[in-house]
Amino acid sequence: MAFEHLRTLYDYRNLIWTLAWGDFKQRYKNSVLGYFWSLLEPLLMLVVLYVVFSNLMRIQVEYYQLFLLLGIILWNFLSRATSMGLNAILGKPSMVQKIYFPRDILAISSCITALLMSIFESLVFVAFMAAFRVPLSANLIYVPLVLVLLFLVALGLSLALAALNVFYRDVQFIWAVVLQAGFFATPILYPVTIFGKELQRIFLLNPMAHIIMAARDTIIYSTPAAAGSLLYAGVAAVLILLIGYAVFAHYEPRFAEEM
Amino acid sequence: MSVIDVEHVGKVFRIPHEKRTTVFEALTGLLRPTDYETFPALRDVTFSVEEGEMLGIIGENGSGKSTLLKILAGIMRPTSGTVSVNRRLTPFLELGVGFNPDFTAVENIRTYATIMGLSKREINDKVDEILAFAGLETFRDAKLKNFSSGMQVRLAFSTAIQTDPEILLMDEVLAVGDMEFQQKCMDVLNRYRNEGVTIVFVSHDLGSVRRFCDRTLLLNHGEQVALDETDVVIDRYVYGKMAEEPVAPAAEAASRGNMKVEITGVTFFNKFGAESTRFNAFDPMTVRIFYSARERIAGPVFGIALYSERGEHLYGTNTELKDVSIGYISGEGHIDLRIDRIPMLAGRFLLTVAVHTHSGERYDWQDKAYSFDVIPTGRDAGLFDIPCIWRR
Repeated sequence: MAFEHLRTLYDYRNLIWTLAWGDFKQRYKNSVLGYFWSLLEPLLMLVVLYVVFSNLMRIQVEYYQLFLLLGIILWNFLSRATSMGLNAILGKPSMVQKIYFPRDILAISSCITALLMSIFESLVFVAFMAAFRVPLSANLIYVPLVLVLLFLVALGLSLALAALNVFYRDVQFIWAVVLQAGFFATPILYPVTIFGKELQRIFLLNPMAHIIMAARDTIIYSTPAAAGSLLYAGVAAVLILLIGYAVFAHYEPRFAEEM
Repeated sequence: MSVIDVEHVGKVFRIPHEKRTTVFEALTGLLRPTDYETFPALRDVTFSVEEGEMLGIIGENGSGKSTLLKILAGIMRPTSGTVSVNRRLTPFLELGVGFNPDFTAVENIRTYATIMGLSKREINDKVDEILAFAGLETFRDAKLKNFSSGMQVRLAFSTAIQTDPEILLMDEVLAVGDMEFQQKCMDVLNRYRNEGVTIVFVSHDLGSVRRFCDRTLLLNHGEQVALDETDVVIDRYVYGKMAEEPVAPAAEAASRGNMKVEITGVTFFNKFGAESTRFNAFDPMTVRIFYSARERIAGPVFGIALYSERGEHLYGTNTELKDVSIGYISGEGHIDLRIDRIPMLAGRFLLTVAVHTHSGERYDWQDKAYSFDVIPTGRDAGLFDIPCIWRR
């Protein structure tokens, strides 16, 4: 079943890419600074959060700017992918009601659009890395794996949200609140070690915490990702993806009539 | 060999009395039983389409035609029954799916062609051809939002027909556009048919259905009424409806005549001898005028006059002009006017019926009190058919 579906998706790869790239272009089509808005957004966020948290909260972390920026970029990807994923079905009524292709293509392509935007953003991060002369190490080979896990989490959530949003329109408002809370509940601004052992355990239930920590370890601090973190994030990502697909498959047959 | 098999397909839409579209409503709604009406859009539809065949689907608005197409296309799932499609299927339910006004003509061609299942290489090869066919070569890099709607339709159509379907589903896409565009559509349809593409064609245009479709399925309120040779089914559709009650003349009896003879009704009969108010162009028709004479009336003259819907007087005749003399009438009776071939092409026509004396004194006169519809069977334009042939 799953294998067959993957083959079908492979046959539709051209469509997935065309839709994703089209959305990406569309986003910047009518703005003067074009793609550079993408770079500006995380930079502005970085400046504000850096000023507040390095002075006010007195957080002592090596390469705090990079620590913060990487967290922001990774979280932004999840936030953007799921927010766009929410409307993947509802936002394209004619593609759902007038033609047939596997509907998850719409969710997949919206996640890829978000990925394209994030790749662009990460140019800022690369520039920072160079400016701070952060040493690189062979541990970077973990990075693709971490990013794949992040993508799977985003895709699983997008699938479930896209399907639910067709039937319950306030899912989008609820999700906005969840993302807002998640930004502060995930160790993006602070290292999880500022908390006591008990509290840490609760924070580390969040798979995004593990993904962001693993990314920081390997990219900024030249240490291998913790095997426990990777394993936990991997299992969580696969579970989220499976649940997302199950929710999507449950609602999918009624998309066309419910919209 | 059949390429589409539809077996006992039913589709029921649930229409909730209060639509729960928010989570809050869904949660509070759990306590109360869901209150909804069901609307059967399709009931027990069974048919199959042979390879290379062209099947028409006709029926009134709301009879389930589009729902059936969407089920065939996989867009909706049937509530009951099974559908199996054994060939690559291309739906033309709407032209220009995924068109983006901010993108250029070429960009939109690429996106739309991809959605319609063309490969990258095919698209690269065909972009110029598509633009040429749409007559939009000079607008290659213009944004779609600056196109007129006619240009957009042409662009969409030119792109859509580049697909290489094995089964084609066509909804009313042909209903848009001007005469020239419709002609292009028909040519393409013909080309596909000659190439042996299996086509399922939904249309209100009975003329096109008659010209193209081998067999036709008639739906009425979601039920399969007939599935047979196209001519048979269209006759069934046109003549199957019960004759509508003619609108009673509002005029006062006094303005109608002295009512010594009253016209009590008019019915139209089709070629099968059944009552109808809809007729195929060029079919025979019988107009039966029922009268009731209060006393013995000698030498009455019955007449009719025919008007277009806009009130233009098209034709008039009576028994006297046709040298038919009626000795006398008394009591109830009827008189028939037999039309061998309805010469009108299409539209609604109004009928005036009258009975009067030789000198023109009215017994009864009902102005445009009855009407019937003529359904087109050919493609000639205008109000009337003129028998003619071309020669050179």
